Amino acid sequence: MDVLITDDSGFMRDLLREILEEEHNVVGEAENGVEAVELYQEKDPDIVFMDIVMPIKDGIEATGEITDMDPSATVVMCTSVEQAEQMKESIKAGAEGYITKPFQKESVLEEINSIAAE
Amino acid sequence: MEIDIRELETYQKLAHDGAQSAAQSLSQLTGIDTRVQVTDVSLMSPSSLSYEFIGDEFAGVNIDLSGEIAGEIVLAFDEHGRTAITETLVPADDPEKQKSSIEEVGNIMTSGFVDGWANYLEAKIKSSPPTYIQGTGDDILPNSASEGDTHLFVFRSRVEASKDAVTDPIDFRILLVPDSDSLERALEPDTGNIVSLEKLEVFNEMTREGAEKSAMNISSMTGIDTTVNVSRLSLIPIEDIPKEVGNKRYVGTVMEFRGKISGYLVILFDQPSGRAVVDALVPMETDEQWGETEQGALRELGNIMTSGFVDGWANVLNAEIKHSPPEFVADTGASILRPITGKIAETEDHAFMLDSNVQTNSDQVFTCQMLALPRRDELEAALDDLLLENAENTRVDPDDLF
Repeated sequence: MDVLITDDSGFMRDLLREILEEEHNVVGEAENGVEAVELYQEKDPDIVFMDIVMPIKDGIEATGEITDMDPSATVVMCTSVEQAEQMKESIKAGAEGYITKPFQKESVLEEINSIAAE
Repeated sequence: MEIDIRELETYQKLAHDGAQSAAQSLSQLTGIDTRVQVTDVSLMSPSSLSYEFIGDEFAGVNIDLSGEIAGEIVLAFDEHGRTAITETLVPADDPEKQKSSIEEVGNIMTSGFVDGWANYLEAKIKSSPPTYIQGTGDDILPNSASEGDTHLFVFRSRVEASKDAVTDPIDFRILLVPDSDSLERALEPDTGNIVSLEKLEVFNEMTREGAEKSAMNISSMTGIDTTVNVSRLSLIPIEDIPKEVGNKRYVGTVMEFRGKISGYLVILFDQPSGRAVVDALVPMETDEQWGETEQGALRELGNIMTSGFVDGWANVLNAEIKHSPPEFVADTGASILRPITGKIAETEDHAFMLDSNVQTNSDQVFTCQMLALPRRDELEAALDDLLLENAENTRVDPDDLF
């Protein structure tokens, strides 16, 4: 699957890339919500891994913009935020999955594979 | 029990004045220069209080109070303080006389502390003869701290002193633990700024859980086995907050959070601990001590720790609390805190401070301090809305919603 990684932390983007590249194709990395929307249009990935807390535009807002543009877009939130209200907002914005940091490699791959199987 | 926050501020001020009076007594008796660093009112567990007396051998006195304010008062000197007092007052090497001098100095200083309270209340507060205490941790705690209380309401003062400019600084602590009847009487709602003590306790417990989650996140990301040793909620004058953190050098992150409760969260690692977590997160040689790679790793750790800390509040309050991306900081604790307290001081003179210390139980020296400074009016409103029956719901499993 073609994956777009969105996280303001270079450290976290490297970690996710390392995990995902074992089985998938990372087509781009965005550092904030604005870049994520632009890269989504440019790369048309199968799945977007989206952080929530980011500068310029947060991940929930960016998810809403991406799913407005492309209702079939698949976005998985990948965040340290574990608040019910923000999870509900993510669902409302169109997110289909939610991984909490710190994560294990297996949970990332399981999430992407279960979405691929749907 | 409901308590009046304005009254609590008044008692904090009384405790501060009392500590100053006690410090002056010490100066008069021994010629030691004294400075009251911090006086706050804290809600904390006996184990958190005990931890403040770990790492050095303390000696001092325990005195029972009765009358308008009943309870216990403990005054304890660290080893430097004890030596400075005994060397001044007891020239000969006489252990019994040295012990007696500590008892008497403690007794005189404690009177200085308590008398201001009695005068303010226009009532009598009687003190028992002093009991000599010596040791570390639990040995120093008031007896009431070991009677199964989950939370203690403690007036804490930390005083630094030095004998001659060249000697090591002396640290002594004064703790006043009033009994619940005295507390209820003293803090009877009067001004309309009322907070439920039970809800404060629940909030404190939620914060401890948050700190434990953050500690777990450190362990999970770095492999360093960490635990929360201290977690307390204090009402403290804003100007004292930088002094509370002190002039040791730290690295860490500062975040602003907004929502049902807004404020600041500061995560501070002492320099070797900061280095240890960065080495664990970024296992490669880098040229700079705190270059972009190291800063990025610490920012991400700060981000994850912050969520661990504040998400429980949001879930229990059925609300959102968003936080800004972390800002990397490297400076003395006081310098890191000053810009933040400057902003808070524009509207407040006292702040609630939630303070958690994360350390290792292993031989590896590791300390991390997390300080949350919520906006006081918003915290008071949130406590008002807090449903005690909801207090257990700090954690949410995404699988239940997705």
